[in-house]
Amino acid sequence: MKNTIKMIIVLTVLGLLSGAALVFIYRYASPLIAQNQKDETEKAIYKIFPEGKNYDTRIIGEDSVYKVKDKNGKLLGYAFPASGNGYQGQIDMLVGIQPDLATLAGIEVLDSQETPGLGQEITTEKFENQFKGLKVSPSISYVKNQKPQNPNEIEAITGATVSSKAVVTILNERIAKIKKDLNK
Amino acid sequence: MIKDFIKGLWRENPILVQVLGMCPTLAVSTKAVFGFSMGLATTFVLISSSVTVALIKKLVPHEVRIATFTVIIATFVTCADYFLKANFYSISKALGPYVPLIVVNCIILGRAEVFASKQNVARSFLDALGMGCGFTLVLIVLGSIRELLGSGTIFNYAILGKGFEHWVVMALPAGAFITLGFLVGLFNWINQKWQR
Amino acid sequence: MATLIIIFISAAITHNFVLTYFLGICPFIGVSKRLEQALGMGLATTFVMTLAACTTWVVYHFVLLKFGLPFLQYVAFILIIASLVQIVEMFIRKTSPVLYRALGIYLPLITTNCAILGLALFMVMREYTFLEAFIFGLGAGCGFTLALLIMAGIREQLEYSNIPKALQGAGMTLIIAGLLALAFMGFGGIVSD
Repeated sequence: MKNTIKMIIVLTVLGLLSGAALVFIYRYASPLIAQNQKDETEKAIYKIFPEGKNYDTRIIGEDSVYKVKDKNGKLLGYAFPASGNGYQGQIDMLVGIQPDLATLAGIEVLDSQETPGLGQEITTEKFENQFKGLKVSPSISYVKNQKPQNPNEIEAITGATVSSKAVVTILNERIAKIKKDLNK
Repeated sequence: MIKDFIKGLWRENPILVQVLGMCPTLAVSTKAVFGFSMGLATTFVLISSSVTVALIKKLVPHEVRIATFTVIIATFVTCADYFLKANFYSISKALGPYVPLIVVNCIILGRAEVFASKQNVARSFLDALGMGCGFTLVLIVLGSIRELLGSGTIFNYAILGKGFEHWVVMALPAGAFITLGFLVGLFNWINQKWQR
Repeated sequence: MATLIIIFISAAITHNFVLTYFLGICPFIGVSKRLEQALGMGLATTFVMTLAACTTWVVYHFVLLKFGLPFLQYVAFILIIASLVQIVEMFIRKTSPVLYRALGIYLPLITTNCAILGLALFMVMREYTFLEAFIFGLGAGCGFTLALLIMAGIREQLEYSNIPKALQGAGMTLIIAGLLALAFMGFGGIVSD
């Protein structure tokens, strides 16, 4: 009996201490983590729009859209997050589109768990640069093992068609939605 | 005393001899820098939980000791995870779910059960430090080999020239298993030579 | 329905927990010497995995998210898994002594099997629904059993071969696991289209 009480006391005290320690670290870390995420988004925005000087955030439904402007206040385009399932896990991207909503300004893969050496190549400049100036209508498509012929095509990564296709699918879905949202 | 530290580096190396903690070892060793960060995070959790266990070992009833150790370890892992997310965001993202998986790294629970719950604080600290260093060392070696052959760099410094054709397989899971297999073999071979 | 099938196949074969995520390597190396043992361990793990996927899903969505306690995630998950294993062990011992004799000794080992915590974490990261989480747990368990059985089959044969002394044991097992991982990569295409 004495032992049971001791067990309960020890476990309760331990639980309380552990909970308290975690609340403390959570309080310390969460603003820093939020800041890191914001920095990451900002960095990606200015990478896609190198002439961008500032941006306004607009919330549509649950999504954020960033209106990016240059130093004279001229609208350069819109940036927005896009995510979906890749080959091994979620792919998170930031997408930039020009004000006409027909041409991509670029994409930046923020987070992905694709196979290292194959699918993970979607995070390389070589792959991302293909999206600069890409036409989004009627929709983006991909070709395998050959140079793209049309202005709406990209070349899939050899050995990682699934990952390349996932990126294209996520983009098409998200762009269709953003067009609707922005025209409202 | 000093023996408690040294044994983790070679004679009782957690990975090469005890074959523990394989999951983070194989998973995050695609690049030397990831292996290094994972090693540091694990060492931190290992030391903190070993010292804590050694401090409170008299208070914990025998029946619930494993549950107690697990809660302590999980608490420190959460701290390490938030710390990495707050201060080393990109590394934390690269390590992904393998940081929380330190909780079930058998090395940590093993040291708490086998060593820290029976020894004093100072010895537990040295033991944990030794094991942590041994673990980190192997991670760095494995990470360097895989990074060198898989992408021609070590710690992101280019070693092999541009003409080098990357061995994609080294970055893949298969490369991890095979490299570690041979590393264990090499280690045993050296030990056998020594004994003669 | 199609999503569920894809989740199952992906967890069991193309993204086999052992061979692509390195989860559950300890039992994979430790308990893969005999086919019989491997089957017992595999079944016990599959059972706990499926149960754990459902339980952690419920706790994550109805307790942790509801009360805003994401920082308790790891502590909560590991406690759920540990107590689940205990309860399953007690339950089997009471109800079916035969099953207990077959699976009993493997159950305590499962608590420290990283595949189960990994399963819970992946489930949260990928935002699965309850049904998806259930299928995911089942698939991952089957995949684990499959990998364990193949390995045990190979190792039984290995006893008759002449392996260099330094590679005996863990070394050879890891190299074989590498070759298996390569072989499993070949299944990669079946989920794509």
